[in-house]
Amino acid sequence: MIERLTYLWPELSLFVATCVVMVLGLSPSKETRRLCAWVSAVALLVAGGLAINAPGDPSALLPNLMPFTKLLVAMVGLVLLMLLAGTVDREYEADILAGRTTFNALRSNRAEFYSFFLFSLTGLMLCTSAESLIWLFLALELTSLPTYIMVTISTRGTRSQEAGVKYFFLGALGAAFFLYGFALIYGGTGATHFSDIAASVRANGMNPILTLGMLISLIGVFFKIAAVPMHFYTPDVYQGAASSVSAFLAFVPKTAGFVAIMTLCAAIGWEYGPHGENLPEAVRLLLWITAALTMTVGNTLALRQRSVKRILAYSSIAHSGYMLVGVIAGPGDTPGAFSTNGLAAVLFYLLCYGFMNVGAFAVLAALRRPDGSEADDLDDIRGLCQTHPVLGWSMVLCALSLLGMPPLLGFMGKLGLFYTAVNAGEIAIIIVLGVNSAIAACYYLRLVVTPYLERPAEADVLAVEPARVVSRPVAAVISAASVVVLVFAIQPLLSASGEAGAVAPPSAAPSADAAVD
Amino acid sequence: MTGDVILTFAADAPVGVAPWWVMLIPALPMLGVILCTLMAIAGVRSKLPAWVTVGCLGASFVVAVAMLLNHGEGAAVAKAWDWFHISWGDAQGQQFNAIFGFYIDRLTILWMLFVTGLATLIGLYASEYMSHDVGPGYCRFFVAFNLFVFSMACLVMGANMLMLYLGWEGVGLCSYLLIGYYYKKPSAVAAGKKAFIVNRIGDLGLALGVYLTFVHFGTIEYAELFASDKLAGYLEHASHGDFSHIPLAAQVIPMLLMVGAFGKSAQLPLYVWLPDAMEGPTPVSALIHAATMVTAGVFLIARTYPVFQVSEYALPTVAWIGGLTAFFSATIGMAQFDIKRIMAYSTVSQLGYMFAGLGVLTSVGAAAHVFTHAFFKALLFLCCGAVMHGFAGQLDLRKLSGLWRMKGWGIVSITMLVGCLNLAGFPVITSGFWSKDMIMAEAFVRPGMGPVGWLLLITAGLTAYYTFRVFFRVFVGPQEYHPGDELHDDGHGAEHFHPHAPGWAINSVLVILAVLSFVAIPLVALNHGGWVGEMIHGSTAHYEAHAEAGHHGSVWLAGFNPHAVMYYISAVVGIAGILVAYALHLRGRTSAGEAPAAEAFKNALGPVQRWAEHKWYVDELYDFLFRKPLWVLSQIFRYVDMLLVDGLVNTAGWIPSALGGRLRRGQNGVLQSYAASMAGGLALFVVVVLILASRSG
Repeated sequence: MIERLTYLWPELSLFVATCVVMVLGLSPSKETRRLCAWVSAVALLVAGGLAINAPGDPSALLPNLMPFTKLLVAMVGLVLLMLLAGTVDREYEADILAGRTTFNALRSNRAEFYSFFLFSLTGLMLCTSAESLIWLFLALELTSLPTYIMVTISTRGTRSQEAGVKYFFLGALGAAFFLYGFALIYGGTGATHFSDIAASVRANGMNPILTLGMLISLIGVFFKIAAVPMHFYTPDVYQGAASSVSAFLAFVPKTAGFVAIMTLCAAIGWEYGPHGENLPEAVRLLLWITAALTMTVGNTLALRQRSVKRILAYSSIAHSGYMLVGVIAGPGDTPGAFSTNGLAAVLFYLLCYGFMNVGAFAVLAALRRPDGSEADDLDDIRGLCQTHPVLGWSMVLCALSLLGMPPLLGFMGKLGLFYTAVNAGEIAIIIVLGVNSAIAACYYLRLVVTPYLERPAEADVLAVEPARVVSRPVAAVISAASVVVLVFAIQPLLSASGEAGAVAPPSAAPSADAAVD
Repeated sequence: MTGDVILTFAADAPVGVAPWWVMLIPALPMLGVILCTLMAIAGVRSKLPAWVTVGCLGASFVVAVAMLLNHGEGAAVAKAWDWFHISWGDAQGQQFNAIFGFYIDRLTILWMLFVTGLATLIGLYASEYMSHDVGPGYCRFFVAFNLFVFSMACLVMGANMLMLYLGWEGVGLCSYLLIGYYYKKPSAVAAGKKAFIVNRIGDLGLALGVYLTFVHFGTIEYAELFASDKLAGYLEHASHGDFSHIPLAAQVIPMLLMVGAFGKSAQLPLYVWLPDAMEGPTPVSALIHAATMVTAGVFLIARTYPVFQVSEYALPTVAWIGGLTAFFSATIGMAQFDIKRIMAYSTVSQLGYMFAGLGVLTSVGAAAHVFTHAFFKALLFLCCGAVMHGFAGQLDLRKLSGLWRMKGWGIVSITMLVGCLNLAGFPVITSGFWSKDMIMAEAFVRPGMGPVGWLLLITAGLTAYYTFRVFFRVFVGPQEYHPGDELHDDGHGAEHFHPHAPGWAINSVLVILAVLSFVAIPLVALNHGGWVGEMIHGSTAHYEAHAEAGHHGSVWLAGFNPHAVMYYISAVVGIAGILVAYALHLRGRTSAGEAPAAEAFKNALGPVQRWAEHKWYVDELYDFLFRKPLWVLSQIFRYVDMLLVDGLVNTAGWIPSALGGRLRRGQNGVLQSYAASMAGGLALFVVVVLILASRSG
């Protein structure tokens, strides 16, 4: 086990910071408490720096997945941190400052909030390092458990508490599903290590128990990525949580879920079907049906919403559907090349989605209604380009990118998915994807038109004002700028994700890992 | 080289690696963009943006000079990063690569020298010229100004056609932004739109040309394109006059690129936007719409000269279009009264010379004319700008007279005279004479191009006439002035108007430009093309005509060599034009508006003069031919769209929405029902998938 440490330095740095932050946040000194966010930022930078130079694991099924995903998580995590800053304890701190109350460690949520944020990211990074089913399960749960609490404490209203409770119960149910699936996989192959599972599948082929185990665990993991039929919680939870936490939910568990799905699929391999380039038929069908249903359900339900958070929640569902297409397409025949590798397309799309989605939520989080609640309704962002141009344009850019408008980043991501699926011959799902992109235009364009073309609301009635957290508009601007700027530096990103999505050649996997235990 | 090979090009040498610092040439103006934007945000209300701009562009010029000194033979590429790298197979032509990098050869250096040099000078001029607008508008002006230089650098220095296209669109955008700088003035807004839309037509041609280049040659990198065996093979065929073995696609590429060049460089039939573009501030007219951007078309053809040589009809078409444009716009220029507009038509006309030069295979002449024209036309515009600035926007040559005797206008008058002499092609002492001469002589030499030569020669006379018409009316003669309508209401009214003479920034720039127009003489005149000729010979625009004696097919004037005799002929023509202008517009003129000789001449011409004054009704013709039919068509489509398409779309759009309404009932917010749906979904999915899988498998 100890050799694995080589790969775990980013996680360790985050974990250390988690412990430090948990203590700092309880300090009676205001200045010390303030350090929480800074320490988290430094930890993320350190983790990102360690991830850049991290070696790939040649014995893993996806050898170069770790450095890319960890760096991605650290970078998006930094933007998320800017967005999450100031979510909890704002009024409480104001009260302390005004002398209305004194600091009580039991009432303060700051320590928990930041340390759980880091915990969740640690879990996400651990998902990418997972070498066995048990590790994967624990990592997935480490990713999710903190989020339940973050949702609950994110606002002081009862809706957050309701959302947190729902999320927790349904999440536990989902976890039960995939744990059951993992058990069946173990039953079917007699192994928990992915490389052993892969070796067993390669030697003996699929068996019914393994197939059933794969199906159930995939469906269980669908909860993390909010895909049909495990998507029901999404709009309620996203709307109940603060916008900043919703942005977090839309990226972190989703990334963990996709990493898990890719790892599981890599264990059984894309070696079936007429050309030996597909998943086993049952698994492929499951992913196919889920992808088609997920995009359709997400997009059609978003059409009638007026709450921007719900729109973004449904859009998050739909995007999961898009990305599943890449998993169906598989790594292709030349795994290192981006243009034929569906897994690389998924990884790249996660990057795109991370920025554009965080940007859209950040605009919402950066605004507040006069009564102190968060902006949510479409009316709140009406005419935003005139009243708060920076936020308005960030929203316009992010929405256009989510829609996949060329030449923005979202278009590049979608192009990758389309391209790899065409290469894999999955024409039917491409058509579904195309139709869905068209449907999606209806509501994304509303997010463009409302801030840009419509008149601002009458100044005295409903005017939103900027929330007094400086870092949030910065997060919005960084995300919106990335959507444009990264297009110009697209080539390194594409080749990096192409490398990260490459699966190991069959012969390399089994022997190296057998000696580990 | 064997005797019968008449076409060669000098890109055979291997492409080297250029030093990294050439990237500073585009990077410094970009820095200027960023700094000026920050100043706009910070609300700077001083001349700081102008000084920053002059600093950045000046530094850029210094780097360009360093590039000149450092450059050896052949071409070199400086790569910043891989821009696009798309492959859909391993075969030839299944990979699309484009680097973000710069292709440096002597053509690039020549162009960048005068682009950055002039931009620096004109930036200095603009610091004073735009001073009435200090504040956000001032910042906006200099942001676009810097962005223009950046785009122009991408256009000229780009290592592939995609970079060229980036710069091409970039300069188009800046042109649009700067023409519409006075956005509260409807005519300026309309002019901006016109420029943008007319340029779209040209840009479509360019885009198709670039695309076809990629499809046919499999690359758009200059270094690879010019070294490709395919192109070399075509050139070999073309050198024997055998065009039947060259595929049609290769012959179409220059035709498409040419359309782009005609749009950007305002040639027939796409020239209509340039005269209107004079709505922008004068420094913009001088830099963008006279000296640099409009020569992008010339640059495009010069850069891809080998590609143009493989088509039988491409270069003759360019020559004819150039000659016709030169003549046609000169006739319009003769009848205009707005001095800036006259200069605009003269720009179109001079660009026609450059195209004709390229078309008759004297790329040296064309480049030399670009080079000299850049200085003297910028000078002329800036003089007009000084007049406009000093007389409250007055540009009508019937309302101004005798400026040179007014206090403080001496420098403007003298430099204007220098500019006019250059444009008129006054013999020997002006650089314009030498560069124009090269083109006209070559036109008579080229077989079948005699008519183009005649057109250019006549145009030279017309040019001298309309140029000195401006000079004789505005700068000499009896003193008189009427202020324009941009009068600041300071309580005095029009009768107490005092023209304010230009300050040091404007005057010094005018003097520098006037001096440069003389400095250019040895650079273009000595030894057939001089320094500019040398620069062209070491580049892709290089063209060599061997076997001189045997190819003077249309040797003209009873055995005289046109190269030798043209000096005298064009000198006579130029001076004759000046004398006619003197006779009509200075002799016997008693006030600004009254020139009896000119009136008599005008009446003698009758309707022809009126048509010319109305620009031969080309705008009206385009309106009738294109805008009206398009409008009718758009109305038809509108109703089809409203009744048919909308109906279908609304029906189709209703389905997802109705589906959403149905599905929404599932989202009832009750925890138990969610959990039940999840568990039920799991069971259903597993069963369905297993049944389907067992059927198909």
